[in-house]
Amino acid sequence: MSLVHTAAARRWALVAGAAVTTGALLAGCSGGASSSASGASDTINYALPANFTPNWILPIGTAAHLNTNNSSISQSLWEPLIAYDGSAGKVGWNKDNSLATAAHFADDSKSVTITLGDRHWSDGKPITSRDVEFWFNLVKANKSDWASYSPGKAPDNWASFKAVDDTHFTITFDRAYNQQWMLANELSMIRPMPQHAWDKTSDSGSVSGLDRTPAGAKKVWKYLNGAAKKISRYATDPLWKTVSGPYTLKSFSTAGKVQLTANAKYDGGGKAHIKNVNLLPFTTADAEKNALRAGTVDYGYINATDLSQKASFEAKGYEVQPWQGWAITYLPYNFNNPKMGPVFKQLYARQAIQMSVDQKTLSKVVFNGTAVPTYGPIPQGQKSSFVSRKQQDNPYPFSTAKARKLLTDHGWTEKGGTMVCTKPGSGEGHCGKGVDKGTKFSMRVLSQSGSTVTDNMMSALQSSFAKTGIDFHIKTAPVNSVLSQSGQCKPSEPSCKWQLSFFGTAGSWYFPAYPSGDSLFATGGGSNFGSYSDPAVDKLIAQTTTSSSDEAMRKYSAALAEKLPVVWLPEPDYQVSVVKKGLGGFAQDSLANFHPAMWKWTK
Amino acid sequence: MSTVIQPGRTPGTTTPAKSAAASGTRLAVRRFLRHRLAVVGLGVVVFFVLFCFAGPLVYSTDQTHTLLHQVNLAPSGTHWLGTDAVGHDELGRLMYGGKVSLIVGLAAGVLATVIGTLWGAAAGYAGGWIDAVMMRVVDAGIAIPALFILLVVSAITTPDLGGLVLILGFVSWLVPSRLVRAETLTLKNRDYILTLRAIGGTHARAITRHILPNSVSTIAVAATFQIADAILLVAYVSYLGLGVQPPATDWGGMLSVGLTAAYSGYWWLILPPGLAIILVVWAFNAIGDGLRDAFDVRGRG
Repeated sequence: MSLVHTAAARRWALVAGAAVTTGALLAGCSGGASSSASGASDTINYALPANFTPNWILPIGTAAHLNTNNSSISQSLWEPLIAYDGSAGKVGWNKDNSLATAAHFADDSKSVTITLGDRHWSDGKPITSRDVEFWFNLVKANKSDWASYSPGKAPDNWASFKAVDDTHFTITFDRAYNQQWMLANELSMIRPMPQHAWDKTSDSGSVSGLDRTPAGAKKVWKYLNGAAKKISRYATDPLWKTVSGPYTLKSFSTAGKVQLTANAKYDGGGKAHIKNVNLLPFTTADAEKNALRAGTVDYGYINATDLSQKASFEAKGYEVQPWQGWAITYLPYNFNNPKMGPVFKQLYARQAIQMSVDQKTLSKVVFNGTAVPTYGPIPQGQKSSFVSRKQQDNPYPFSTAKARKLLTDHGWTEKGGTMVCTKPGSGEGHCGKGVDKGTKFSMRVLSQSGSTVTDNMMSALQSSFAKTGIDFHIKTAPVNSVLSQSGQCKPSEPSCKWQLSFFGTAGSWYFPAYPSGDSLFATGGGSNFGSYSDPAVDKLIAQTTTSSSDEAMRKYSAALAEKLPVVWLPEPDYQVSVVKKGLGGFAQDSLANFHPAMWKWTK
Repeated sequence: MSTVIQPGRTPGTTTPAKSAAASGTRLAVRRFLRHRLAVVGLGVVVFFVLFCFAGPLVYSTDQTHTLLHQVNLAPSGTHWLGTDAVGHDELGRLMYGGKVSLIVGLAAGVLATVIGTLWGAAAGYAGGWIDAVMMRVVDAGIAIPALFILLVVSAITTPDLGGLVLILGFVSWLVPSRLVRAETLTLKNRDYILTLRAIGGTHARAITRHILPNSVSTIAVAATFQIADAILLVAYVSYLGLGVQPPATDWGGMLSVGLTAAYSGYWWLILPPGLAIILVVWAFNAIGDGLRDAFDVRGRG
């Protein structure tokens, strides 16, 4: 899962008291100490998300270092084979920033032959199929360490790698796949690495073809992984000097400040426009906002609640640009909860809950217009060919009166403001299988704390659920605590106490380019928190990765908009960006990556 | 010890003792009333108690439902203190949140002070290894961040208001216990204590009649700070899921929510709860001052 960014933790700041204050001061200093906002110069200051310090640059990410900001930095140094992202405004293959120039799928969709461009490493050596093979071998042999690995997917479904010549190679799959899915979600993860410099087991060791045996590949990985853990040596270690991307590392402090400088030897199409890029860390969003006010940041962000101050930032020479993510936000139901699980399993009950969610008003009022109503499993912030008509039109419009009727028609009676099941049983007009007589429609959400917007949304939900006759209790906890308490469980386990859980202050789930829901809603999926299971949905999901047309995605979108495996909620913007006027040449990538090479001063 | 006749129990001295106690109370009340600020403080506390508990009867508002069509409205005739980010009337919310803040603040503050006082006095008076062990317990308690304990508790249970009082009381008694112990150490070697012990007075009597009354100023001041801290702590622990959960609220929570809108100019979300907290905390401090003067045995002839 990619939980990329947590919003300002107001109360947390209070709790952490002195510690955070000191931290904020330090962060303020680090922001202030850097050169003041550049405007039309060869430097740009970019604010990293609050509370995040970059800690990984190796192109193979491990679980402990999984973060889109880490990979953005890494991709500026080592260009991806296929950059499939939203950097050009629409999600697609950005060939300017890719090492590959073409990908030809076999007619049976069981293999792909990729062509590399005529490109060179920063030390002058050509980039060849051997460099791709090096990455392939390391990932194959050490897949369990690779953060992007999920069983059955890449590299498991890549049967073999075969170099045709220096600039052509073929990858064979275990069966036929949807080409777009393969390109966007799997092949885009390949990151050619300099085999001629890295295929060794110690700093002074000699380079050989060690990676070609699994045992050798394990040793090389151990060495590279160890070197990548030494953050303080990033800028000096000769290992990290051989790059293929538009930038090289100038400095990388353990406190989180990263300085990039243009790679003079870069020969690709995505050349850097601004020579020096400073990536600045901040402990809190407030510290970052102060740096914006002071003018020491060229590209930063504010909270959605601060949108009312838009004019004051514009007066300071900034533009406010919402950054929409390729994501969805939802409340998963725990279908295995012993108390409410049987109720959640009833479609009419889920419909009543969904009808009590006024997404339009929530987006407008609580989110200040920085969220998009989303009624199904496909992000609706951007236009795409994947969204079905049904999802777009919202099959369950907001109406607490209709929701009430739905419940009373199914054997529920209001007692003291809360619906109670009075007609148990599975026939027509009854509560449904497993729902006992006297069951109260009372549910508890474990919600991420630290965000005023989230707290307000929960209060608003509580209020509209109450109108339907549904009790909604809110318990808040820090996001990591929420995640650890809302895992998959069996009804008999004590960990199955959670009923609904919310961890989507900045979006619950960020998709790769092709938004298939295999890990979210398929039976047994890795992030199917609430253990949703529907054989018909499983079949539709399987088709989205194997069928060759978008129609499969639209069917899946329509089915889940109707079957409500989770409570659909408005999708908040990834970030409300505040950008210095005159900085242009780029689109904010909806996959939540940033691309420094595209930034340029236009005046 | 019990066979020794104690001064207060000597036959024939009962009546003068009673009247002495009565005149002591009168003296205390008179001294308290002479302390202007303390009286004003008491007035402020009484005002806020009435405001929070009787206020909703006069000025009734809907604090359980959100009204998204009237958010962040400035003060006006219909909403005297404006509305908050989900449309609650701010004046009504101030009454609603004040109940929690006052109840929890008072109860948790007093609980922490009582535990701390007993613990500190016992440790300081006993001395030797008992003192060492008891104070190491306190040191250990201070060494473990309260946040850590609260986090564990929040993972296990979601307490109600009474539970919240107990939890806050049990994590904040450490500092008063240190203060009282230090005070006890200086008092227990005073001549009047030694004399009391020499003529056969019990340890309990030495502690309750002499040491505690003499440290009342320290205790009173500590208690008022504990009450103030507890009001703020309720706001902090909401973050961990221990505090009050919506639709309920408290002043600290209202203030921290209001602060997020500081730059947006919604002053009515910040000033009222902020002023309420400052006034109540100040009032308790002033009352503490008055109590110190009232009970101070040192000034008595």
